[in-house]
Amino acid sequence: MNEVCFKNLNKEECHSLKVYRESGGYKVWHKILQGEITPEEIIDELKTSGLRGRGGAGFPTGLKWSFMPRQSDGQKYVVCNSDEGEPGTCKDRDILRYNPHAVIEGMAIGGFVMNASVGYNYIRGEFMEPFKRFEGALKEAYDAGLLGKNINGSSISFDLYTHLGAGAYICGEETALLESIEGKKGQPRFKPPFPANVGLFGKPTTINNTESFASVPEILANGGQRFADLGVENSGGCKLFSVSGHVAKPANFEIPMGTPFKDLLEMAGGMRKGGKLKAVIPGGSSTPVLTAEAAMAMTMDYDGIEVAGSMLGAGSVIVMDDSTCMVETLTRLAHFYYDESCGQCTPCREGTGWLYRVLKRMTDGDGVPEDIDLLLSVQDKIMGNTICALGDAAAMPVESFLRNFRSEFEYYIEHGRSMIKG
Amino acid sequence: MADIEIEIDGNVVTAQAGEMLISVTDREGISVPRFCYHKKLSVAASCRMCLVDVEGAPKPQTACSTPVNEGMKVHTQNAKVKASQKAVMEFLLVNHPLDCPICDQGGECELQDVAMTYGSDMSYFSEGKRVVVDNDIGPLIHTDMTRCIHCTRCVRFGNEIGGIAEMGGTGRGEDLKIEPFLQEGITSELSGNMIDVCPVGALTSKPFRYALRTWQMNATPSIARHDLVGSNVFAQTYKGKVRRVVAKDNDNVNETWISDRDRFSYEGLSHENRLLKPQIKLNGKWKEVQWNEALEFTVRGLANQVSDNQANEIGALASNTATLEEFYLLQKILREMGSENIDHRLDIKDLENSITLDSNIKLTELESIDYGLIIGSNPRLEQPMINHRLRKAVLAGADIDVVNVMPFDFNYRINSENIISPYQTATILAEISKSVLKSVHAKNYLSNVSARDSAQSIANRLLTADNSVIILGEHIINNPQAISIAKLISEIAQQTNSATLNISATSNSIAAEMANFVPGQGGLDANAMLAAKLKAYILLDIYPEYDFHNSVKALEAFGNNTFVVSMNSFKDKVISQCSDVMLPIASFYETSGSHVNIDGKVQSFAAAVSAPSESKPAWKVLKVLADLLKLQGFHYEDSTQITSEAVNQNRQKATDERPVSVIAEAKRGIDVIYQKSPYATDVLLRHASALHATKIGQVHLASMNKSTAEKLQVERGKKYLGVPVMVTESVANDCVFINARHPIGGKS
Repeated sequence: MNEVCFKNLNKEECHSLKVYRESGGYKVWHKILQGEITPEEIIDELKTSGLRGRGGAGFPTGLKWSFMPRQSDGQKYVVCNSDEGEPGTCKDRDILRYNPHAVIEGMAIGGFVMNASVGYNYIRGEFMEPFKRFEGALKEAYDAGLLGKNINGSSISFDLYTHLGAGAYICGEETALLESIEGKKGQPRFKPPFPANVGLFGKPTTINNTESFASVPEILANGGQRFADLGVENSGGCKLFSVSGHVAKPANFEIPMGTPFKDLLEMAGGMRKGGKLKAVIPGGSSTPVLTAEAAMAMTMDYDGIEVAGSMLGAGSVIVMDDSTCMVETLTRLAHFYYDESCGQCTPCREGTGWLYRVLKRMTDGDGVPEDIDLLLSVQDKIMGNTICALGDAAAMPVESFLRNFRSEFEYYIEHGRSMIKG
Repeated sequence: MADIEIEIDGNVVTAQAGEMLISVTDREGISVPRFCYHKKLSVAASCRMCLVDVEGAPKPQTACSTPVNEGMKVHTQNAKVKASQKAVMEFLLVNHPLDCPICDQGGECELQDVAMTYGSDMSYFSEGKRVVVDNDIGPLIHTDMTRCIHCTRCVRFGNEIGGIAEMGGTGRGEDLKIEPFLQEGITSELSGNMIDVCPVGALTSKPFRYALRTWQMNATPSIARHDLVGSNVFAQTYKGKVRRVVAKDNDNVNETWISDRDRFSYEGLSHENRLLKPQIKLNGKWKEVQWNEALEFTVRGLANQVSDNQANEIGALASNTATLEEFYLLQKILREMGSENIDHRLDIKDLENSITLDSNIKLTELESIDYGLIIGSNPRLEQPMINHRLRKAVLAGADIDVVNVMPFDFNYRINSENIISPYQTATILAEISKSVLKSVHAKNYLSNVSARDSAQSIANRLLTADNSVIILGEHIINNPQAISIAKLISEIAQQTNSATLNISATSNSIAAEMANFVPGQGGLDANAMLAAKLKAYILLDIYPEYDFHNSVKALEAFGNNTFVVSMNSFKDKVISQCSDVMLPIASFYETSGSHVNIDGKVQSFAAAVSAPSESKPAWKVLKVLADLLKLQGFHYEDSTQITSEAVNQNRQKATDERPVSVIAEAKRGIDVIYQKSPYATDVLLRHASALHATKIGQVHLASMNKSTAEKLQVERGKKYLGVPVMVTESVANDCVFINARHPIGGKS
């Protein structure tokens, strides 16, 4: 536990440059500045490590970095996505608070690999404390001569800027995030072209999640194989899981991939007093919900969660006990996506509102039996037809809630009240 | 780009690598529904209507944003595609009011059309629908934003074509509203195109509101004659009246856009002020008569005034809105009668000093220039479609420098705006000329010239640019050194291998030159004709107060003892005072004829409607008049015979040997540059009411700086030449720039 991003978590002033350096921080960066490592070696090491994008999509980081046209002329950028907005997720917040230098070093290494001399860290608008921590760390790094132009007399330059968002969930979508940095309204771009070719300000750009960047220095310091060995096949390394909901001790846990869910639940102190596990959303609000049985049989890695019928996502584990009304929970989730849809493309703009209104009518006691099929049909029509994944994110919970807890919905419609809450 | 082969619905088609799938399907005639896609706008891919199935792609792909590549296999009709299209269609309609019976777009609505093919006949949506409160965005466009499907075509039009981000999306999700950012509404000179691009009834034509259904009208292709471009339009007519004008595609002329001026001028056609019946003046009183009586009266009148050997006592003047055929017939009549007193250049103070400068760059070439120098013009308002091409060039990287008497509101980036007094225009051009001369030529007038920095930098750009153009505008026509300015431009262009574009005269003036509607050997020009007080004048659609540089002199000339034949489409107080006979003629869209544009392209058009009441197309009137005058060579069956005769006649261009003078005449006093408001440039526009309610149409100002105002002893709040004074330091010294809706009278 706590071997990568959180390895200094228990030390005093763990966010400081001093503590980070004492534990081997910036050693890789110094080697790079002295010309001891090539970009190709770094990419190979990342591929060996099995590190997959920690923001939710799980795309192999080494492969992503190899896509950048690093030899092409002109400005290139690396961007860190710290716009952590998925309900249930709070891991990046704590990385920024407790290990900001790992993010800085990871981004600087990314800049070197991608031949990008400028980086942006886009931090969620509500994260004022993490923002200040990160800014403080950035100042330390600049003061220590770790960033800037021709760092330590080398030919390497890397400038890093922080960009604070303004509270839109959609800006966590990487291309909406780029629009937002550019000063435009945060709306996702259609792809292709992908950011690796046409990204920030139209230039080749690599975007990674905070946790992904923060994992890079550790991987390179101790070898990709060691990182891979921490986890299981196809899911290398450790992963931060934010466990929230009806548990006794909600918290972030950095645990090896492949850890059984029941162990994680134990780490979180087990169920809240008197509660019995009813359902788990394992990867953040947009991933399908699982029943207690499916969750208890699941291991926490990409494949394990997929086998259980959901997705690892950003590792945001929402635990629900038997006092939870699934109809009201879904209504709340539907409201979130309805509220956060950017409105740009048709299925999401019109569909999220439709889903929410039907569910709202249901919880108001005005549901009709046809509503269940209607909800399934509307979510199906959103799925796969939108510009970005927000549409899918809004659709997936609906399908899984109805599949796993249909009787609760039928009860609510028939009786006009919750089966659980009465 | 290389040709590649892709497979669509099992058929192999050729495409170019990288082009978007939708352009391939459009070319192949394969039906792919769309709302946000527009061939002249950037791709948004947001309506999701054009989803197709690309083999290998996990999700359906939007045809508008999917580049094709070799071997790609696409299905546009399979079950997956149909399901996606039906889903998107259903979503588009959940919050659409479906108020087709009371919607002006009904019958020409893309949503309606596509819903018929791809939609379902019933909806499962039983929640409340979204309602959007409308803003008043001006007199031209009516909004019903509850109908909006958020395709953002109007937003992209503003950003990309109009050049002003007037419409935008505020709010997000279901609350996303397309609306103008500013309270003042939509002000672009091209705003009406938003009506054309809107696929639904959200943006409709305000003047046309609730008038007719599109299927009730006939559409006749025609040409808009308000500027030098001759935009292609459809005149939509119902029961003999033009009820609406919309753009017609022509990539070489107006692409798919037209200016608001071209779109809304038709409103003037049904103005109550039309001249509808022939009238003759008997003992100082007007009397309505039959055409034959009026024409016989005309012939008699001309004969009484002018005996056989006195043909040079007759003069003909025409406004620049006449057709090529009308110019041609009228000059032919005069020349057959033996007079060379023919002119269309009515608003030039000194015709000895009139500009001659050829244009030698095509409209389509303008968008690929890399440098442009604009002298004396506000092209956005004067020639909106030419300005549109310049804007395209700038967006593609071109630099534009401007030499004007005051700053104007350009809708693209200007490299440098040089604000200088009119008496210095020739000087700065001489400086540029001196800077571009590769060897020290023996040009006397350049000997004392030394180039200021800005002139040198302009010269450098002209020398280094591969495709440059020098544009001469309307503000120069009455500059006392106009001819020197034109000659210097010509010289600089030669030295720097630049093209020239002369936009100093507008409407159909190029047709007038083509028809040789200028004084011949021994003939009098317009000003000389007025000064000479001839015995008879034939006036073609002239409104003296607006059209003549000096209307006082014109009134004097048309006074007693002269016989004035006026052919007019609208009534005019001055014309009725000074004429002896008034012949009602057809206006725009009521006659066949031709417009000649800046490319020299002769664009002929048929009449869309017949002329109202007893008015007749002027070319027919002129032909009958010629017959009655017993002149030879007027046996035309239709107007096209006249067109070909006009186009094929031999014209000789005299070489211009007027000297160049570059001395800055600072002492010459104050220059007044008078420009008609863009919506008052011809008689039809002056009667088009909606245009006059726009911000552009309202402009009525005499701008000058403080020192000029002091010299003229006027101030803000007062009037100068009847126009409200605006004092601003941005105007160059010793210069008044008047942009006026009304004539300013006696501008001597």
